[in-house]
Amino acid sequence: MMLVAIGCNFHKTPLDLRERLAFSETRLPAALAELSVRYGCEAVILSTCNRVELYLARLIAPAPIDADLVAELMTEFHQVPAAEVRPHLYEQRDAGAVRHLFRVVGSLDSLIVGEGQIAGQVKTAYETAQRHGTVGPILHALFQHARLVAKRVRTETGIARGKVSVSSAAVDYVRQVFSHFDDKTVLVIGAGKMGELTLRHLRQLKPRAILVTNRSPAKAEAVAKGCGGTAVPWEQLDDVLARTDIILSTTGAPEPIVTRKRWKAVQARRTGPAVILDIAVPRDFDPAIHDGDRACLINMDDLNDIRDRILQDRLKHVAPAEAIIEQEQKKFLKEWSRKQHGPVIAQLTQWIEAERQTVLRQLMPRLNGQLTDEGRAAIEGAMRLFGNRILHGPISALADENHEGAGHTLLEALRKLFRLQE
Amino acid sequence: MLEGISRFCFGASYAVALILELIQLIWPRPVQRLTATGFGIAGLLAHTAYLAVQRPPLSSQFGTLLLLAWILAIFYVYGSIHYRKMAWGIFVLPVVLGLVLLTYSFPPDESSHTTIIPALDSLRGERFWSFIHGGLLFLAAVGVCIGFVSSVMYLVQARRLRAKVPPGQGMRLLSLERLEEMNRRAINLAFPLLTGGVLVGIALMFQRGEAWDWTDPRAIGGTILWLVFALLLYLRYGVHLRGRRLAQLTIVAFALLVFALASSHTPVQGGSP
Repeated sequence: MMLVAIGCNFHKTPLDLRERLAFSETRLPAALAELSVRYGCEAVILSTCNRVELYLARLIAPAPIDADLVAELMTEFHQVPAAEVRPHLYEQRDAGAVRHLFRVVGSLDSLIVGEGQIAGQVKTAYETAQRHGTVGPILHALFQHARLVAKRVRTETGIARGKVSVSSAAVDYVRQVFSHFDDKTVLVIGAGKMGELTLRHLRQLKPRAILVTNRSPAKAEAVAKGCGGTAVPWEQLDDVLARTDIILSTTGAPEPIVTRKRWKAVQARRTGPAVILDIAVPRDFDPAIHDGDRACLINMDDLNDIRDRILQDRLKHVAPAEAIIEQEQKKFLKEWSRKQHGPVIAQLTQWIEAERQTVLRQLMPRLNGQLTDEGRAAIEGAMRLFGNRILHGPISALADENHEGAGHTLLEALRKLFRLQE
Repeated sequence: MLEGISRFCFGASYAVALILELIQLIWPRPVQRLTATGFGIAGLLAHTAYLAVQRPPLSSQFGTLLLLAWILAIFYVYGSIHYRKMAWGIFVLPVVLGLVLLTYSFPPDESSHTTIIPALDSLRGERFWSFIHGGLLFLAAVGVCIGFVSSVMYLVQARRLRAKVPPGQGMRLLSLERLEEMNRRAINLAFPLLTGGVLVGIALMFQRGEAWDWTDPRAIGGTILWLVFALLLYLRYGVHLRGRRLAQLTIVAFALLVFALASSHTPVQGGSP
């Protein structure tokens, strides 16, 4: 078996070059077909914003496929000089390629360790290749196994715990306070760019109403129109603060809009708890408002701090995740070896048994009358033992070589030596 | 074979489930939570078999505590199946275990080794009202226990929010809103039951010609418990008090319940109210 992973990623390759080497959805089928025809191999291309990787495999490997060949192909496809591409390409072979894919799919090789997108991107890459007929038995088995690895890493370690994007973390924070949203009102203060994404996430919670207020009524109207909300005059800010449940503030005000004193007056009119997502810089709400009970305030400093803590926490789970990957890599290679070597070992065993029977058939008539039943059984047993000992060497060598991920040469040699049919 | 089941059997199962839940906090693994739930279910089955075979009377503290622990064990199993990813057991199991351990302070009542709940035809006259009295108080106790558990969870969640612990890190809990709702329902249910139970008890006492004894710990415990409950409801609906304060007060109510349970017994089969 020949399996190779060749590509470049964010570790060493600048974004500019990665962008030029990326395979767009429209060009991907042609690239897969070209790889399949040119090298007679199975192919999967993983092309994301952080990496461009080619997974290539062949059952029989007359000539190796290496990074030089892939650099040539990339040159043809992307019109980027091979000399510029080649230094950025890394190459992982056999067991190394298996481990590499498992690390990628387990998001250990990601820019943000533990991010959840990569597993889906690997799945899409595999499905695309499958649709275009460039997936064979090796890559099918490998990518199916990779899915299991991703699942194990995510469920058995805490590597994927928590959300690191500001908007997702903010919504997660809201979910810790409220459980149903069809009776909740969201208030958007300001019209900052950062707020748009968070508001998009908040809208997914399907709140009862969205109110928008801004110093500029026109801007408030525009934001309200964009999110299906209602614009409220800036002068009514205190009134709406008193009756909304989730407050998203993104103004560009140089001073806090809501001081502790102002909030105290608002809170006296409130009945339920309030979640304040202050993602404005500088802050719109005085942080002293936060009590974690009636007023849960979170600002950009907190969200950045949460992200750092999540990433820090995820790093603790890298070692257990690596252990799972090593375990699964060994398991995959063992299973693959069993699948590949099983028929050859069965043929070898049958051949030895047939030869033993032939020799016994020739020998026994010559010793007729000179042997007791026990003597006959001893000879038969000795010959069986002899056969097993002969087989032990080749079978062990096959297993050993396959752990290193290159059992195919020996397999071929065995077939030729013992004249076994394919 | 079922006769061999002891309190230790199900107590130990609940303890193992609790230990696994605690380990889950540090080293989360789905199989671990599943095993914890398995131990919880095993404990509940053993607990059920014990109640069915031994039939401790509800008129004794021993029987009341065991039945209360059994209902909370059902609450635990339901919660750990329904809220698989939440740290549910960490809060419910200590209460279950605490109640089981408390039964060791009260020997089983061998004399009334008949049934947890008496046969319907034997419930006539005063026995019927005694049964109603005990039953109402028992159901109110279930409500207080659930209110207590949700209040502790509320305080922990509020503390996490106050410290701005990243969501998903450490123990996972229900939202403040859900916990407050659970607390409100439990207390709203428990108060009328408690009031009914106390009123039936007072009526029974007057019928027997007994005088109200203010030095009796049962009377003190019961009265304070009722007053705390009335205060809880007043603060919630009259003053619109919410959140942390209300949770703290519910915990006080639970402490009083434990005191009341330890100092008196609920007369289902004719004991004094």
